[in-house]
Amino acid sequence: MPKEKNVIIAKDLCLEYKKDVPIIKDSTFTIKSGSFVFITGPSGSGKSTLLKSFYGELKPKSGILQIGGVSLNDIKSSKLAFLRKYLGIIFQDYKLIKEWTVEKNVMLPLLIAGYSKNVCEAQTKRLLKHVRLSGKEHYYPLELSGGEQQRVAMARALAHNPVIILADEPTGNLDEYSSRVIWGLLEGANEQLGTTVVVVTHSIPTNLKVPFKHLYIENGTVYEIS
Amino acid sequence: MKSLKNHISLIIPLFAILFAVEFYFLIDKIITEYEANLSKDYSIIVVSKKPLTLPELKAVEPDITAIKEVSSELVLERLRQNGVDVDFKELKSFLPHFYKVYLGSFPSASTLRHIKKLLSSVDGVTRVETFTKVHEKIYHFLVFLKNISKFFLGIIFVTSIMLVFKQIEIWNLEHSERMYIMALFGAPLWMRNAILIKLSIIDTIISTLLVYLIYSYLLSTKYLKELLGFENITIDSHDLLRDLGWLFVLGICISVINVLIVSWRQPKIT
Repeated sequence: MPKEKNVIIAKDLCLEYKKDVPIIKDSTFTIKSGSFVFITGPSGSGKSTLLKSFYGELKPKSGILQIGGVSLNDIKSSKLAFLRKYLGIIFQDYKLIKEWTVEKNVMLPLLIAGYSKNVCEAQTKRLLKHVRLSGKEHYYPLELSGGEQQRVAMARALAHNPVIILADEPTGNLDEYSSRVIWGLLEGANEQLGTTVVVVTHSIPTNLKVPFKHLYIENGTVYEIS
Repeated sequence: MKSLKNHISLIIPLFAILFAVEFYFLIDKIITEYEANLSKDYSIIVVSKKPLTLPELKAVEPDITAIKEVSSELVLERLRQNGVDVDFKELKSFLPHFYKVYLGSFPSASTLRHIKKLLSSVDGVTRVETFTKVHEKIYHFLVFLKNISKFFLGIIFVTSIMLVFKQIEIWNLEHSERMYIMALFGAPLWMRNAILIKLSIIDTIISTLLVYLIYSYLLSTKYLKELLGFENITIDSHDLLRDLGWLFVLGICISVINVLIVSWRQPKIT
């Protein structure tokens, strides 16, 4: 992914699932490389929809949407697959592969990137220690608590040192301890590695140490709040 | 248990396809050998006023491999036995030349008619006898056998392909969540489908080996050995081993093509 000053650019962006029922309409905003961004808004306002468009699951109806200089408007599957290698995605429902062990789930982005088995294992071990799940490498996701599963998802999102982390309500269902771990890791990635972090959430944590940008969605329009 | 059921659901149609293909291969081999044996024994009788040579006839029909002159003594001997009252010495001087003409392959009835026409046009040839009636009976029987095996193969192939396709579609649904998650992290198509391709390869190996073992057993039975030996037809283990390779390649192609078709038919994981 080329290094762009603005890693995400949206201009007059319109998103819709059904024809003529726009979820996001005529919204213009930018997200700078290395920034920490919160997307908030009432339930059903289109926060998750906007995030989906960032990883190419929903193509823009009209307007312009660019990620790392790559237009998502008419992107081909092969190019999208290539782009996603630079993204780390965290979902509210974790989206872990339940037939795979914790170790293999975390390894997934590394395997896709083509790293050797040794590198994958070493990186996975380091990350699981980081998310405080050492010793649970051979567990299956359904053997873990919700908080632990989300920490596995966090480790997976960080595994390949992504350029952008996209998180959809990452602490929505979590206990306080797991939430603290997740926020700490997101802050760490942003501060230490310069990773751009985009988080969809209902409420912005009060004890965040890093400066952040706030995008607020209401009635389908994205507002930048300073 | 569920996994075993899933494997069997693919192994059975794959086995049916490969079994039918191998059956066709064997029938084809048996018919080819039988035809070769027939063509060895089969000859056309040509009666000519002038002596004929092989190059002369080959120039007319390249499939002619040999000619053998029938001694006129044999013809006269037959007349003598039938009690014909003639001067055999004088008759001998008037008798034409009789030839047995051998062909390289067992011809179809139309080819035979064509050859007869060509030989009749050779200078000096007065008569050509192809024994068409007997020949056509055998030939039509062989063609019928070939067509029946083709028809049998076609029906099994189509129905089994549909079953293979359905089974791979079921696998695809079972693994769709995994494939979707992999796609979200940028896994290419081949990587997402790797699990399906792996399952297909395992089941193809099992099906191919089953076909090989069953045919090896059948061909080693006393009954079939005697039946084929009676017609001087031999099918050895090398033939089966060579077919095994072809069957495996065919099985893999069918499975992989089905996996790809099923993947492309699914809603695009963008």
